[in-house]
Amino acid sequence: MGTKASNKPSSTSSCHHIEALKSSTSLLESYGFLFETFIRSPASDSIKSCDFGAENGGYKESSRKVPPAIKCCECDDSTPRLYACLQCVYFACFEKKHIQEHAKSSKHFLAMDISYGGVYCYRCKDHIYDDDLDKVAGISNNRFFSKLFIVLGLRLIAWTPTDIEIESLHSNPKRRKIENNSSVGLRGLINLGNTCFMSCIVQALTHTPLLRDFFLSDKHNCQMMAETQQCLVCELSRLFQEFYSGSRTPHIPYRLLHLVWTHARHLAGYEQQDAHEFFIAILDLVHQHCKGTNGAASNNSNCCNCIIDQIFTGSLQSDVTCQECHNISTTIDPFWDISLDLVTPEPTSLFDCLKRFTRDEHLGSFAKIKCSQCTVHRESTKRLTMKRLPIVCCFHLKRFEHSIGYHKKIKTLISFTEELDMTPFMSGCKTNDMGECIVTDDQQYRYTLFAVVNHIGNLESGHYINYIKQGQSSWFKCDDHQITKSTIQEVLNSEGYLLFYHKKVLDYE
Amino acid sequence: MRSSINQKLVESGESERLKDILRTRLIECGWRDELKAHCKEIVKRKGLEHVTVEDLVAETTPKGRALVPDDVKKELLGRIRTFLAQQST
Repeated sequence: MGTKASNKPSSTSSCHHIEALKSSTSLLESYGFLFETFIRSPASDSIKSCDFGAENGGYKESSRKVPPAIKCCECDDSTPRLYACLQCVYFACFEKKHIQEHAKSSKHFLAMDISYGGVYCYRCKDHIYDDDLDKVAGISNNRFFSKLFIVLGLRLIAWTPTDIEIESLHSNPKRRKIENNSSVGLRGLINLGNTCFMSCIVQALTHTPLLRDFFLSDKHNCQMMAETQQCLVCELSRLFQEFYSGSRTPHIPYRLLHLVWTHARHLAGYEQQDAHEFFIAILDLVHQHCKGTNGAASNNSNCCNCIIDQIFTGSLQSDVTCQECHNISTTIDPFWDISLDLVTPEPTSLFDCLKRFTRDEHLGSFAKIKCSQCTVHRESTKRLTMKRLPIVCCFHLKRFEHSIGYHKKIKTLISFTEELDMTPFMSGCKTNDMGECIVTDDQQYRYTLFAVVNHIGNLESGHYINYIKQGQSSWFKCDDHQITKSTIQEVLNSEGYLLFYHKKVLDYE
Repeated sequence: MRSSINQKLVESGESERLKDILRTRLIECGWRDELKAHCKEIVKRKGLEHVTVEDLVAETTPKGRALVPDDVKKELLGRIRTFLAQQST
């Protein structure tokens, strides 16, 4: 004993007013009923905050009753702090002391806060923690959440520490708290000979919040059996440990480089490489290694739920419209990144690029496509839209132009914003009379910038650096082993090459 | 005026929806974390035995109100306006 109780206020032993009522009246039943009705009813907060996503709105709408308009019995206010008397049917506000007056006049001194379920004792003038009442609330909570998770198809269980865990927590009393201005997670990377293309991608990956959470919670189960040394996921796992260990000396990623060389031959050697190519290569390798090297599942990239696919895979819808019969044939393909053209007329912003990426494109008379309805080759138009967006969206601005006979780098400044709403580029986005997309206030397509990779120099010789976001709003510039403080302004004014955006609100899967 | 607006908001369920949005925004912008830290500080300073929920509410309310970002206030105001405009047409 003593272990669990020590986390709670020392007055766990309730108050004698509650004790007396528990034995003489049906206090526990009343509390259970009120708790179930107000705290764990389908219309209460908890179910709503588990947003099922708008497209899945069926459950949400049908099960959600209009919440009863609860008001204070005295002042008619629906203030945020309403209490229900635990000894009779009475609701009153706390702020204007109406619940206290009720307690005084009727001698009903126990009341429950109907937003959170806390119990207030008027005699003690305080909120009381009572083990039996907590138990009642716990049962109600469990019932509620297990029902909810059946609906959502989830199996989430609250963490109840085992004896070993409790003991380990007690014997290791030191807690590390990450402060806002903490530098944990910031680490330079030694350049091993033109490996800045790797450094900047590693920085971006280690600062991808969901990927970090995955690795730091030790979720990877190595599938490579005898060859764990060859597993790139294990190496990434070690890398995350290195990055978040609190050490400030630059890390030397020689093992990662060696693994990449062995598994992706085209990137081997001390040549300069393209950061985008490396990004795709490392995603592909990690994706394969999540399944083991020779697993059949790795061939089918469409239905994989490895961490890479969960975070980075989205899908593009391509609609080809026949110009004769207007029949539309639709195909859907997965993507890890979106490559955006910068050729003439030069776009000026990321928004421009995306608009161009998703507009109707005439395929011309030389590229007739067989229409399934006309059964002959017809001129068609093609349009790409986002069918499903990944949690992390990587935009690749095609700054390197390779045509027959010439190669050049496009140095145009493309403006991009810290916040991005992808609604206009979604498949089936509603448009107004002007053909412009109606932007709704839907949260699910809102994104925030968290990493930017830049290329400095020209095609023959250049250097990669990147900017990463740390915490809520601090930005840092990573140039191989050097890390310096930066600002969002500097980031937004930079000549971006790869832009990494993270989804703002995460849905339950 | 105020009470009739309030009634409309509550009856239509809009008030609950707005509360949801507000709650999400306050979490997103770090308001909740900041206030939580502030509460912990007060409890630590005064000692667990000498602090009640009422004290905490009284002491944190002004700070809590002041810390709500203008953007959030603006957004909520805009949403209430839109809602009322829809209602009156």
